[in-house]
Order: sequence, then structure tokens, then C-alpha cells
Amino acid sequence: MERIRRNPTPPPLAERLSFWGFVIAGLVVSVIFLMPVVWSLANSFKPAAEALAHPAALFSKSFSLENYRRLEGVGAGWVVYATNSVLIALGTVVLTILVSVPAGYGFSKFRFPGQSLLFVIVMATMMIPFQSILTPLFLILKFLRLQNSLTGLVLIYVTFQLPFSIFMMRNAFDAVPRALIEAARIDGASQATILRRIMLPIALPGVATVAMFAFLNSWNEFLAALIFLSDQNKFTLPIMLVNVSSGIYGIIDWGALQAGIAVTMLPCILLFLALQRYYVRGLTAGAVK
Amino acid sequence: MAKLELRDVVKSYGIYEAVRGIDLEIEDKEFVVFVGPSGCGKSTTLRMIAGLEHVTAGEIVIGGQVVNRLGPGKRDIAMVFQNYALYPHMSVRENISFCLEQQRLPKAEIDTRIARAAETLHIEELLDRRPGQLSGGQRQRVAMGRAIVRNPKVFLFDEPLSNLDAKLRVQMRTEIKRLHQILPTTTVYVTHDQVEAMTMADRVVVMKDGLIEQVGRPQELYHRPASRFVAGFIGSPSMNFLDGRLEQGAEGLGVRLADGTRLAVPPARAAAYAAGAGQPVVLGIRPEALSIRNDRPGFSPLDAAVDLVEPLGPSTMVYFTHGGASLCASIDPEAAPQAGRMLPLSVNMNQMHLFDAVTGRALAQAG
Repeated sequence: MERIRRNPTPPPLAERLSFWGFVIAGLVVSVIFLMPVVWSLANSFKPAAEALAHPAALFSKSFSLENYRRLEGVGAGWVVYATNSVLIALGTVVLTILVSVPAGYGFSKFRFPGQSLLFVIVMATMMIPFQSILTPLFLILKFLRLQNSLTGLVLIYVTFQLPFSIFMMRNAFDAVPRALIEAARIDGASQATILRRIMLPIALPGVATVAMFAFLNSWNEFLAALIFLSDQNKFTLPIMLVNVSSGIYGIIDWGALQAGIAVTMLPCILLFLALQRYYVRGLTAGAVK
Repeated sequence: MAKLELRDVVKSYGIYEAVRGIDLEIEDKEFVVFVGPSGCGKSTTLRMIAGLEHVTAGEIVIGGQVVNRLGPGKRDIAMVFQNYALYPHMSVRENISFCLEQQRLPKAEIDTRIARAAETLHIEELLDRRPGQLSGGQRQRVAMGRAIVRNPKVFLFDEPLSNLDAKLRVQMRTEIKRLHQILPTTTVYVTHDQVEAMTMADRVVVMKDGLIEQVGRPQELYHRPASRFVAGFIGSPSMNFLDGRLEQGAEGLGVRLADGTRLAVPPARAAAYAAGAGQPVVLGIRPEALSIRNDRPGFSPLDAAVDLVEPLGPSTMVYFTHGGASLCASIDPEAAPQAGRMLPLSVNMNQMHLFDAVTGRALAQAG
């Protein structure tokens, strides 16, 4: 008996083959997805000469931070652009959450005349291609004296982020049982307390998802930043990347470009890893009881 | 500690009236159970008392004060929900203290009250756990802890045991009753389970279609149901009903069933029903009022074609048909027949109930 327990019967061959087949397929797909990231990072640490070497090698023997140093010489320097990007992304995240959380709560837990129509109208704005309203947006920002300002850009990003965020937050709040609100009302809590102390902590995965999307979209956005910002000191990282690739006399500085890409994608990867646990839960909230 | 009054309370949703005018006085410290089938308006009534639903018309009075316009938090009530409604992200201690924090009580007072409630409900060791780490019975206790910690004027229970398994339900039933003995507080308890209603209540309110069908002590409802509905709802297995006609003959008053069988009304009860002679009636007989054929006074013979036999231990349920109606008798296990046989039974007409065939109201209050 003791022996049998120590040596359980191995799984049948077909089961083992299918397991290893699954592992190998998973590894191949992972490599395909990870390759661009690894390629960029590896190239960013190569000396300029080797970045364009033929045949291309993934890793170089000589390690160099030269590309990152050259990035400081692009325009106002990458630190300025990174700071602008951080300010814009944080502003977008904060403002999006401040608006979409109460809006989602309202759509989810209150009944008011015209509710469905209003929700459909909010959602319908997602269908409008951003590029088609660039001119009116520019005119509005000019009228508000917000063109060429980070605040103006934040407002534009928030506007385009809101429909999805409100939809997400409504779903997140829908998943919270109504009885919890009723229990809190009987406990004597105000609406603000209910939202802050009961609903928000439970709907946190939804908030994390909204925050992540707002961050990624505003961090990576290029067109609006290019059009609404004209002062070099206010540019964001994506615009810096274009300037790197244009370079002097139009020569593309591949090494510096890869360094710029590494700097740009690192916060996105870190944020995604930090929030992925919430992110999946947030997206599936309300899918099943 | 307070008296609770409902004065002609109505609740409508558009043209649909969920509660159609309820008048009820619940005395201080009384334990009242609202019982009825789904959609009878019992939960809606409870939610109106809690302040979770607006009252369309009428008044709700708690401790002499009309509370129609007060929010749920200002009514000094506590409610235990069907799904417990514990805050999942808070520990048991935080769940219980939440309402006290809203009242801005001092920390020391909060701690004392939590300790006392935890001791009463034997949940001291659970205080630092989250609701997700508790079993159904433990969650139920915590939900009650959250209610008792406030010392409310009125306790409200909305089908609190329906999510528990049968054994735990019986256990928690006795615990809630024990709790009411330790902390006598006006209590309104809603359930669709008539056994809960019978075992727990000082008084039972039977509701149907948004109206009160009958209010009374459990034994009163069982022995003197005001209508066929109450008679059928209270008691398990439920009362048997046979269509017939009340007739005055040479042998005295009797009920002539559809198949021609005549069941004599005992002389002691004949006077109460004499006025109804000639009218179509529904005869109500509880399963325990049927027994193996005997000649005792007040018993009338009835033949049964046995369909199914259910031994329960102390008694055996015999399901049979008579004149097209399906009936059930609770008899001595030793006399239990086999399915398919004919069984000579006697009806104890001293315990019969008679209902108007049209309105369903009881013809006279049975003894």
C-alpha cells in the first residue's frame, strides 16, 4: 500500500503528449509576442554601430548606455517629454475616475427619466472617429484658450475616455448586490459614504481597469498631442519618438529610437503587471452571478 | 422598544397594487411573522416598514411617530436580509461596527457593544475574518450581530433562513427565538415557510394578493382558519378539501359529498352551521383527523383507494383518492396499508372545517 501511494500511476501517454504539446505551443506564441519587446530592449543597449550591423544579432557583447545619453539631446531632452507624458496620463486617469465613478454609480443604481436614452447617447459618442472632429476640437480649445496646453489635452483625452469608462463602471456597480446599499442605508450611511466605503472598494477592479485604459490611451496617444501642442517643451514621449526618427538631415537614429521606445513602454508594462489581477476581474464583472 | 402600527398602508407600482391596504398593530416586544406565497406583498410590506420602499398611501408609525418621510437610517430599525448583505471587503468586526460609526459613537462604546453582541451570538472568534471565510450559519449570525448591536426599536427579518440547509435552518430558527427571549424587541419576520411562522411567532399574519387574510396566534390559525386559503396554507401536509353540500336530513345536519357519501355533522357543532343548510360547501379535513375505521361518536366512515404510502416514523402518510379528490391521511404506522388497496377510514367530524364554496370564507369558526 505504502509503495502504491508513493508511486502513483503515471498519466497515459496521450495525456502527457497533449500536455507537452500545449506547453510548446504556449512557448512559441509567447516568443512571438515577446520578441518585439526583447528586440527593442536589446538594441537600446547596443553601441550605435552595432544597432545597424548586418547580419543582425539579438544580443551584443558590448553593453552601452550611449543611446540613452543621446536621447537627452533630442529636442528639450527626454526627461521633459517623459514628465509631460506622466502629467497628462495622471491628469487623464484622475479626471476620468472622478467623473466615471459617480456617473457609473448613477446609471447603475438610480432610476431617472430618460436614463436609457442618456446612456445610449453617451455610448454613441464612442462611434465618432476621433480624427473626424479634430478641427472643431481645435476651434473649441482655441476659444477656451487651452490650445498648446497640457490641461487642454487632458480634457480631450478624458472626453474620449469617458464613454468606455462610464460603461465599465456601470457594469462594475451592477455586479454589486443592491442589498448592500440597502443595508448601508439602514445602517444610516449617506450616499457619499455608501459610494466611498461600500461600493468603491467592491468595484475596485472596475476602477483599476478604467485607470489602466485611461493611462495607456493617453500615454500612447500621438495625433491629438501632435496637433494641439505646438511648443517643443510641451511635447509628449510619442512625439519625441518621431523627432528621434527624423533626426538631423532626416537620418533615423535607430539606437536612440529603440532607447526611446524602451523608456516609453516600460511604465505601460509595469502598470499592466501591477493591475492585471484587477484588470481581468474588472472586465468580467457582471458576466456571471 | 416600540409599538409598530400600519394604518391602511398601500403600495402601488403604476397600476399594479402590491399591497392593497393593510391595517395592523404590533405590540411592543411582540414577534410577528408575515407569511404567504410569493407575490403576496409580505416582503414589500417589510421594505416599507424599513423605509426601502416609499409608501403610496397610509401611514407607518413606529413608537408613536409617523415615519413615512424618514429615511431608513433615521427609523431606528435593524434588518437582516435574505442574502445577509454583509460588506464583503470588511471584517466581521467592521461589518458590525459600521452602523455604530455612522452614529458617531465613541470608540470605547463601539468596542463594548461589539463584544457584547459577539458574546450573545458566540461569534467572538470570527471577528477578524471576512464574510467570504464564513459558513452560511456563521454569516447569518454576523448579520444578526449587525442588527442587535444597534439596540433598535424594531427588528426586521426578510426570509433570513431561506439560504440555509434544512438542518441549519431548524438550528437558526431556535437561535432567533432564543435571541428574542434574551433581547425582547418588536420583531417583524417575513417568510414563505409556514413551519417557521408557526414555530416562531407570537402572532402570524397570513397575506394573500396584497391583503391580510388572517391575523392570529399560531394555534388559532391552525384550529380556526378564517378561509380556505389560510386552512390550506397553514399545516403540513396541508388540509384536505372535498366539495359537497350542507344538507338537513332526518339524521340531522350532514355534508353530502359529490360521490354521494354523507358525513354527519356532530350535534355539538350542528347548531353553528344550521343556517347554511342547502348551500354548496367545501369540507376541510386535516390529515390527522382521518384515522382507521372506528365507531367513536363524531366519526363518519370514508373509503379510501390508496395511491401512495409514506412512512415518516412516528406516523405514516397515506395518499388516496376519493370522489376524484386527492387526499392525505396521517395514520398509525402499524395500520399502514400497501399502495393499491382499499382502506376503510373514519373522519373525525369534530375537527372538520366548512368553507363557503364561492367565497372560500369559513362558514363558522370551528371549535
